[in-house]
This record gives sequence, structure tokens and C-alpha cells, in this order.
Amino acid sequence: MVTAAAVVALAPLILPLYLMTLVTEALILGLFAMSLDLMIGYTRLLSFGHAAAYGFGAYASGWLLLHTQLPMLLAVPLAALLTGFVAIGVAWVCTQATGVSFSMLTLAFAQLLYAVAFKWTSVTGGSDGLAGIPRRPGPFGLDAFISRSGFFYLVLIVLLGALAFCQALVRSPFGAVLRGIRENEAKTLALGYRTRRYKIAVVALAYGLGGLAGALYAPFAGFANTELLFWLLSGQVVIMVIIGGSGTLIGPILGAGFFLVVEHQLSNYTEAWALFFGLTFIAFVIFAPEGIWGLFTTRLTRDGAIPRVKPKEG
Amino acid sequence: MSLFAFLVTQSLNALSQAALLFFLGAGLTLIFGIMRIVNFAHGTFYMLGAFIGYSSARLTGSFWAALVLAPLAVGAIGMLFELGFLRPLYRRDASAFLMVTFGLALVLGEIIRLVWGPEALQIEPPQSLTGIVFLIGEPFPTYRLFLAGAGIIVAIAIWQFLDHTRLGLLIRATSQNAEMVRALGIDVNLIRSAVFGIGCGLAGIGGVLAAPLVTASVGMAATMIIDAFVIVIIGGMGSFPGSLIGALLVAFVQVFGEYYLPDLALAFMYLVMLLVLVVRPGGLLGKEA
Repeated sequence: MVTAAAVVALAPLILPLYLMTLVTEALILGLFAMSLDLMIGYTRLLSFGHAAAYGFGAYASGWLLLHTQLPMLLAVPLAALLTGFVAIGVAWVCTQATGVSFSMLTLAFAQLLYAVAFKWTSVTGGSDGLAGIPRRPGPFGLDAFISRSGFFYLVLIVLLGALAFCQALVRSPFGAVLRGIRENEAKTLALGYRTRRYKIAVVALAYGLGGLAGALYAPFAGFANTELLFWLLSGQVVIMVIIGGSGTLIGPILGAGFFLVVEHQLSNYTEAWALFFGLTFIAFVIFAPEGIWGLFTTRLTRDGAIPRVKPKEG
Repeated sequence: MSLFAFLVTQSLNALSQAALLFFLGAGLTLIFGIMRIVNFAHGTFYMLGAFIGYSSARLTGSFWAALVLAPLAVGAIGMLFELGFLRPLYRRDASAFLMVTFGLALVLGEIIRLVWGPEALQIEPPQSLTGIVFLIGEPFPTYRLFLAGAGIIVAIAIWQFLDHTRLGLLIRATSQNAEMVRALGIDVNLIRSAVFGIGCGLAGIGGVLAAPLVTASVGMAATMIIDAFVIVIIGGMGSFPGSLIGALLVAFVQVFGEYYLPDLALAFMYLVMLLVLVVRPGGLLGKEA
């Protein structure tokens, strides 16, 4: 873990510019996928509308940076908070349903947001989206995170902080209740936990972190458009979580990296990269539901490289 | 144009739109009712129908032949997929299906792009359907009238099929209690394959019929699948009459919304759906979720 983070931290020194941009984007997507893992992997809430969080965060931070004088370091967390706050309402409605209906409701909300972003041109820029989003320095003249490598470090710090937060969260009593919901919601309810409140809380948290990822994406790319809200992205992030390994937090980050590498590298060689990617995804769902990280850790523990503490999270 | 004529033509417009939506929604809801599968690839089967329809219309020179051949082909492909990819997953939870069919949507969409290319392809409707007819003094495209009629005919046909044939009976029985049907000595897996094939074939019909109107293009699945989900959720997942009501509701909201509130039309559909779900979480005619 620590060594991996250290290696990534050295990236700006050795990587050419375009690769560093790719790594930065992978880390942002990794944060996005990790946030969804809180829902899919730990609570078994399959959201098919997580792009709503990403897009909302991106539009919120983009709008704040374009229309107010807030520095980036304040606009980004503010946008994330706003996303999490709005998500409480969304979660309240969506958690009335369970199972597939829950997935479809999250999808409906995301599409509603997509429709609004398309039509509310005065705020969202309609089909053009928001362009020319600046990375404004400050507060107090702090400009270390503005440059390309500076921004990379900002994203890395945020991702590591979020990872530490999520790992603490899933190990806390709160996390234990989430796993209880995942394994058997009726039993958890019978034990006296108001499961619906926990579900609303975890959805708000996951959307807040997903919004944080989107809020970073807007100043990273310099734009926010409706594609960030489209259902295709919602499906892709589910793929990242599953391929990486749900319920592991680290796995989805790897899954996001894998996704981006496949998209960027394969699309150089063949136009049909999506074909390969779709087949890989299907193969993972059928044959290796534990994902890349799951395969990796079981291999290690089998060979005795790391001692096996407990069979599987939960 | 008088208000009356306006209402009549717009309603017919909505009816033809509802027909297209219904072809997708009906298959989607049948598949869900029997297999508890949300088929994310359904829009892609619809798209496949349009492209196979294009090719078979070129080969045979007849739109009507395409209308028969393409749905059969799409249904067969759907059945093969069910056999190969879905059957191994019946012991897993519903989310596995959602993900595998999403993967299939990516793969099939890509294959279609590789085979037919990225350009939109136009199917010529038969000569008899190309013109316009005058309804209470207003011009109206014949093809849209034909679509509305086709939707009504297919809806009645499915209804009769479900209510009055042995397979229809088995399908209804399986959706209520698959274990019991199995205990009676019926091969439930066979029924599942059949339903998946029929559902995909219906989407194929929709694809062929839509192609003269919107052209066969690689983007046509993405918008349609979400509309189909909305229909099925509004009507109640697994309820066949529900999908009919959902299709009508959504089509009328789309057509009249586009006219009166063009800025809100896109969002309006989702608002209707949220409203329905808050009042009845299982959909209008569905069981409580």
C-alpha cells in the first residue's frame, strides 16, 4: 500500500506529460469508483445512476469556479458537500425500494439530472456544457496545486485521504451495520438497527465522495458536459468496481486504472476496444466475481506471502 | 388548424410513438416477469433488429420480408445468448444479470458497428406506406398511421397468446410460481429461453419498424433503452398490461410535452416516473416492491 502510493507519488518526476495526465485522470476515476464501492461492495446497493454524483459535483465546482471568486481548494469541497447534501433527498426516495427497483430509481434520478443539465442552458450551458473552468489559486495566495504536477499531487492526496477515511468507516461499528444490511437486511433490522437510516447515510456519503471526484474532474479537464451525467458512465463505473473487486475499496481504484488504460491504449490499436472491454467484463462477472484485487489477494494468501487474517471482509 | 384536428393528429402521433415504445417495453416486462432479469441489452436487440432489417430488406427487396426475417433472427440470437451466458447465472442474484446484460449491450453494439459501419442506414418503407393521408382535413404521414395500427395489432396478439395458448398459460404460471410449474413436470428452463427469445424478437420488430422513421444508427439503442425502462417501471415490472399503459403514458407525455413545454419535455417523463414510484413503489399494475 505505502510503497504503491510512494511509487505513484514519484510519477511526475519520471513520466512524460501525457502519461501523467492519464494517471491523474485514473486517480480521479479511482476515487469515483471507490465511492460506489461503499454502496455496491459493503451494503449491496447496486446504484445504476452514480454518474449523477460525478456530474453534479463537476457542474457544481465548475459553476462555482466560473461564476464566483472562490479558489479551487474551497470550491471543490463545497461542491462535494453540496452533492452529498442533495443526495440525502435522492436517497430518501430511492431507499423506499429495494433490489432492482432501487437500481432503476437511481438510474431515473441520474437521467432526470441529465435532462435538466441539457435544458437548463443558462446555468449548465446546455449541450455545450461549461467550458474554460479555471484552477483558481488561493486561499492566501497558495498556488502549489495549480500546475499540472501540482494538480496531480492534489488528486493523489485527496484519493489517499478518502481511502483512509473509507477504510476506517467500513471497520467502524457503522461499517459493521452496513455489512449486516448486505448479508441480511431483515435480520439487521430485527436486531434493532434502523437500516433505512444507515442506507440513506451511506448513499449520501458515497454520492458526496463521487461528487468530490467530479468536482476535481471539472478543473482537471477544464470543462463539464452532459456526458458526465449520462447513464453510460454509470454503467462503466459499475464495471470498474466489479472488475477491480467489489467490497475491497482498493480494487475499484485498480479497476478504474484498468478501464482507462484499456480505453486509451487499446483504442490506439483497434477501434473495437469496447468489444474487448465488454467481453472482459462479462468474463469477470461470470468467472471471477471477486475481481482483480480479489484474485490477487487470494493468490497471495494461498502462497503464504501474506498471512490470512480473516477469510473475506465481512 | 382547429383544436380538435390538432388533438387528433397529435394523439395519433403519440399512438405511433407508443407503439414503438411498446415493442420494447412488452418484451422487457415479459422477460422480467419470468426470469427476474433486467435486460440492459434490450435496446441493443432493438438496434440489431433495425440493422438486420436493413440488410434483409436489401437482399430480398421487400420491407415485409425484412419485417418477418429480422425479428426471427434477433429472437434466435437472444435465445443463444440466454443459453450461453444467462443460464449459468441462475443461482446468482439479480445484479449479476444486470451486469452481464450491460456487458452484452457493449459487445453487441460494437459488433453492430463493426459489421454495418458507423453511418446511419435508411430502410425504404413500401410504396403503399410512403405518402400522406388526410384526416379531418389535416395531412398525416401514412407510415405513422401504420405504426399505430401495428402496435394495436401486436398488443392484441400478445394478449391473446398469453391468455389462450398453452405456452402463454405456462408463461403466466411460471411468472407466478416457477417452482410449482417445475414440480408439475414442465421444463422451466425451456420456457425461460422461449420468453427471452420472444422478448428479443419483439424488440427486433420495433427496430425494423423504427428504421424507416429514424434510420438505423448506432446511437439508437442508448436513448431507447432508458425510455423502455421508464415504461416498464411506470407500468409495474412484469406486468404486460402495465407496459401497455406505461408506453401510452410516456408517449403522450413526450408528444404533448414537446409541444407545450419543450424545455421540460425530457425531464417530464422522469418526473412522472418518480411520482408513480413514490405513490406506488411497485409501479401502477405491479406487485409491491
